[in-house]
Amino acid sequence: MARLTVGFAVFFVSVLFAVFVFGRPFLVFASSEADARSAIVAAENRVFECYRALSDAEMAGANVTGLLVKLNDAGALLSKADLAYAEGNFDSAVAFAVQSSSALDGFVEEASVLKEAAAQQNYLDFMVNFVGSGVGAACVLAGGFALWTFSKKREKAKGRGWVER
Amino acid sequence: MKKPRGGAGLNVRKFGLSYWVAVGVLALLVASPFLSRILVYPRTEFFTELYILDANHKAENYPFNITRNQNYSVYLDIGNHLGYCAYYMVQVKFRNQTQLAPTSFGPIENRSPSSLPSLFNITAFVADEAVWELPLTFSFDYVLDESLSRVDFSGLRLNGVWLNMTGYTAAWDSEKSEYQGFLFFELWLYNASANVFQYNGRFVSLRFNMTGA
Repeated sequence: MARLTVGFAVFFVSVLFAVFVFGRPFLVFASSEADARSAIVAAENRVFECYRALSDAEMAGANVTGLLVKLNDAGALLSKADLAYAEGNFDSAVAFAVQSSSALDGFVEEASVLKEAAAQQNYLDFMVNFVGSGVGAACVLAGGFALWTFSKKREKAKGRGWVER
Repeated sequence: MKKPRGGAGLNVRKFGLSYWVAVGVLALLVASPFLSRILVYPRTEFFTELYILDANHKAENYPFNITRNQNYSVYLDIGNHLGYCAYYMVQVKFRNQTQLAPTSFGPIENRSPSSLPSLFNITAFVADEAVWELPLTFSFDYVLDESLSRVDFSGLRLNGVWLNMTGYTAAWDSEKSEYQGFLFFELWLYNASANVFQYNGRFVSLRFNMTGA
C-alpha cells in the first residue's frame, strides 16, 4: 500500500513537471479588457510625462531632436495599442502599450540632463554675448571719449608751452 | 619763432568727425551680439499648418477614382509654428456625402470636429518651426451593390494597419455620377494645462469616387 502511494505520488509529480516544462508555451493567460485598459492608460501617462520633460528641455534651449524621435516612436506604438483595444485584441493592446512605455525608459533623465546643459550654456552665452558685449561697447565709447579728452588737454598744454627760439 | 613744447604724439582731435565715426563703428561691432538680442521683432502669429501632398510631393495628382484593394499614396504634413514643441493627434475618419464634415472657419474655439468615430489616431510630436511628414499608403475594400446603388465598405488598410469599416456606406450621387467618399484627417492639439486633446479647427480631406473596377 505504501509503495502504491509513493508510486502514485512520483507519477503525479512527474506529470506536473512535464506539463510545466513542455506545456508552458501553451499555458497562455489571456489579457483581460481591464488589463489592456490599464496598460494603455499607464503608457499614455508615461507619454504625457515625457512630453512635459521634453517641453521643459526645449524651453531651456536644448536640442531635443533625438528625444522627439523616441517620443514619436512611443506615440506610434500607443496608437497601435489603442487600435488593438478598440478591436478587442487585448493581448496585442497590452503588448503595444508595454512596448510604448519601454521605449521611453530613461527619457525623463535624458531630458533633464539636456535641460541642465542648455541652462549652463545659456548662462555662459548670456554673460559673454550680452553682458560682455554691452560692457565692451561701453568701454569702447568711454575709451574713445577719454582719448578725445586727453588729446584736448594735451593740445591746451602745448598751446601754453610755446617756446621762444 | 615759437615752437610747441614736447614731442609730436597722436592728436586725434585733428581727425574730428572721422575719429568719432571710427569709435562709433567699433562700438557697434562690439555691441552687435548685445543688440541682436534686444532688437528682435517679436513673433506675433502662432499657428499650425496641416496639408496633404500627392505621391510626388505636389498639390496636383491626388487619388480620386478608387479601385477596390488598390494602393494609393499621399503625404500628410504638419507644420508647427506655435512657438513650442507640440503634441498633435490626427484623427482619421471617413464620411459619405450625406454626413457632415468638421468645420474649419471662424474662431478656432467655435469650430467643431466631425461626430463620426475615428478609424485611427496618428500621433505626432513636432518641434517649433519644423514640419513633420508621414507617408500614407491606403486601400479600400468594398462591395459595389448596383441594385441598391450603394457601396458597402468592409475596411481600409492604412500603412499596413487594417481598419474595420463595417457599416460604412456611400450612395450613388446622380448629379456627379459617382459614389462619393471622403477620407479626412482632423487635427487635434494636446493642451498640457487641461491634459486633453482639443480640436485645432483644421482638417484636410480627400474626395474619392469608388469605382466598380
